[in-house]
Amino acid sequence: MSIDKKMPRFNEFVEALETIDDEDLRFEYIIDIGKKSAAVNFSDEWKSDNNLMHGCMSKVWIVDHEENGYHNFFGASDAIIVKGLVSMMVQSFSGLTANELEQLNEDYVRKLNLGALTTQRQVGMLAMLEHMKKLARIGGNIAK
Amino acid sequence: MTSINAISKLDFSALTAKQFSLALDVERVRSDFPILSTDIYGKRLIYLDNGASAQKPRQVTDAVREAYETYYSNVHRGAHYLSQRSTDAFEEARSTIQRFINAPSDKNIIFTQNVTAAINLVAASWGRKFLKAGDEVLITEMEHHANIVPWHMLREELGISLKVVPITDDGLFRLDDYELALGPATKLVAITECSNVLGTKIPIKRVVELAHARNIPVLVDGAQGIVHQPVDVQDLDCDFYAFTGHKLYGPSGIGVLYGRSELLEAMPPYQGGGDMIEHVSFDGVTYAEPPYRFEAGTPPIVQAIGLGAAVRYVDRLGMDRIHAHEQALLAYANTRLAEIEGFRFIGTAPEKAAIISFLIDGLHPFDVAAVLDRQGVAVRVGQHCAEPLMDRLGIEGTVRASFGLYNCFDEIDKLAAALEKAKELLT
Repeated sequence: MSIDKKMPRFNEFVEALETIDDEDLRFEYIIDIGKKSAAVNFSDEWKSDNNLMHGCMSKVWIVDHEENGYHNFFGASDAIIVKGLVSMMVQSFSGLTANELEQLNEDYVRKLNLGALTTQRQVGMLAMLEHMKKLARIGGNIAK
Repeated sequence: MTSINAISKLDFSALTAKQFSLALDVERVRSDFPILSTDIYGKRLIYLDNGASAQKPRQVTDAVREAYETYYSNVHRGAHYLSQRSTDAFEEARSTIQRFINAPSDKNIIFTQNVTAAINLVAASWGRKFLKAGDEVLITEMEHHANIVPWHMLREELGISLKVVPITDDGLFRLDDYELALGPATKLVAITECSNVLGTKIPIKRVVELAHARNIPVLVDGAQGIVHQPVDVQDLDCDFYAFTGHKLYGPSGIGVLYGRSELLEAMPPYQGGGDMIEHVSFDGVTYAEPPYRFEAGTPPIVQAIGLGAAVRYVDRLGMDRIHAHEQALLAYANTRLAEIEGFRFIGTAPEKAAIISFLIDGLHPFDVAAVLDRQGVAVRVGQHCAEPLMDRLGIEGTVRASFGLYNCFDEIDKLAAALEKAKELLT
């Protein structure tokens, strides 16, 4: 099975973004995801320095729970737009193995913002992907 | 709200004679800056990131193009025609800058890459020769990293210490706190003329008087000072004054260190190479006199010529006029932005340059800046290379709108509208 078929949430996000043909509205869509994800439970104890991604302009926490070789990610940020981005990233790329995650590249990241973001933020998203791959390589960083 | 817009654009009769003499023809000024007609995401650019770097007028880009296209060559070397012309233009830029800051001689003007390089030069040359373990360098809580890290490096190398003058919660620099901090171990005051984050202006003349009364030299970081008001280094009586070209509507990659002659003459070279020597043999070297002693290698020739053009440009408009215009913008922005519910000014000292750092209650500064960006409004966000100041104020960062000579009152209204939009989208 191709990796694209293993990422239903990713496909939903891409489809939604492609349907919106205005960059401003795509930007607002990402903000909206950020606002909605505020309600998603990201445990306060996960907001530790250990789970903090370094080098980000705002705070980004990502945790990885590994089960039978599959990785489930959870993410949070103190800024809404970044929360929207990290939320799309962790939802899109959960349920894959470490090897499958390694196949993902910047093309997948680009599809998740479709020009609605500055280059700096695209670089930030790519850094999130690399961070997630790293967590998967070490077998996750939380027990659930 | 309409009154200031009206005065700025139409009703000059409402101005006093003095105000009139200082009024800047902003429409005309703006036409010198082609980039201001750019659209960003389909919206007209509103450039409020002048504190990071200012845009360049045609007079600067024309001077740069003319240099490259008609007389470019290396300087101080060739016997040929182009080399002579380039050398003349390069040295004329030095003289233009000397007159602009009223330095006694063009020998006091050293070209550097930027303020960071200028301060590093002083730290590495003057600092290594004249400072020793136990000596103190006095800075303030408002310094940019460029005026902190070079002294940290000397601390690690020589065992000097950094002493920090506190500021008040609203970002005010108090002379009595400063005077208290000047002690027997203080061997240098290294101080900003204007905070890049808070806009707070420091009364440099008094700072220098108090230091000189104790025989302590003063280095002024003028990066955010010289762009907003006239600077006269002899009147300030400072020992070093550093500024950068790209914030003063000139090219990037060129900065200036002014140094008092007796200090420069006593300082060893900072870097070695071509152009900074008198004689070289395999047995020894004699160094050139200042400023060339501190300009090793091929200098940023065209950048210096471009900076000369930028200085002529602002000088012709008049730094008094620019100052008056920016102060009017600041006053209007203070009133207009205060109307926004939840708007919090960071830094409210009475004497400020046209720099406004702020937060909006409940919103992350990065989110605010991102929404402003989508509306064509360019601001800076983050710690502004002033992490210790952020720690002092107990915040992680701010949004900063910094104004320049081409900004107008309409743009402040649009900033306010963009901020209302940010609140609407983000809450």
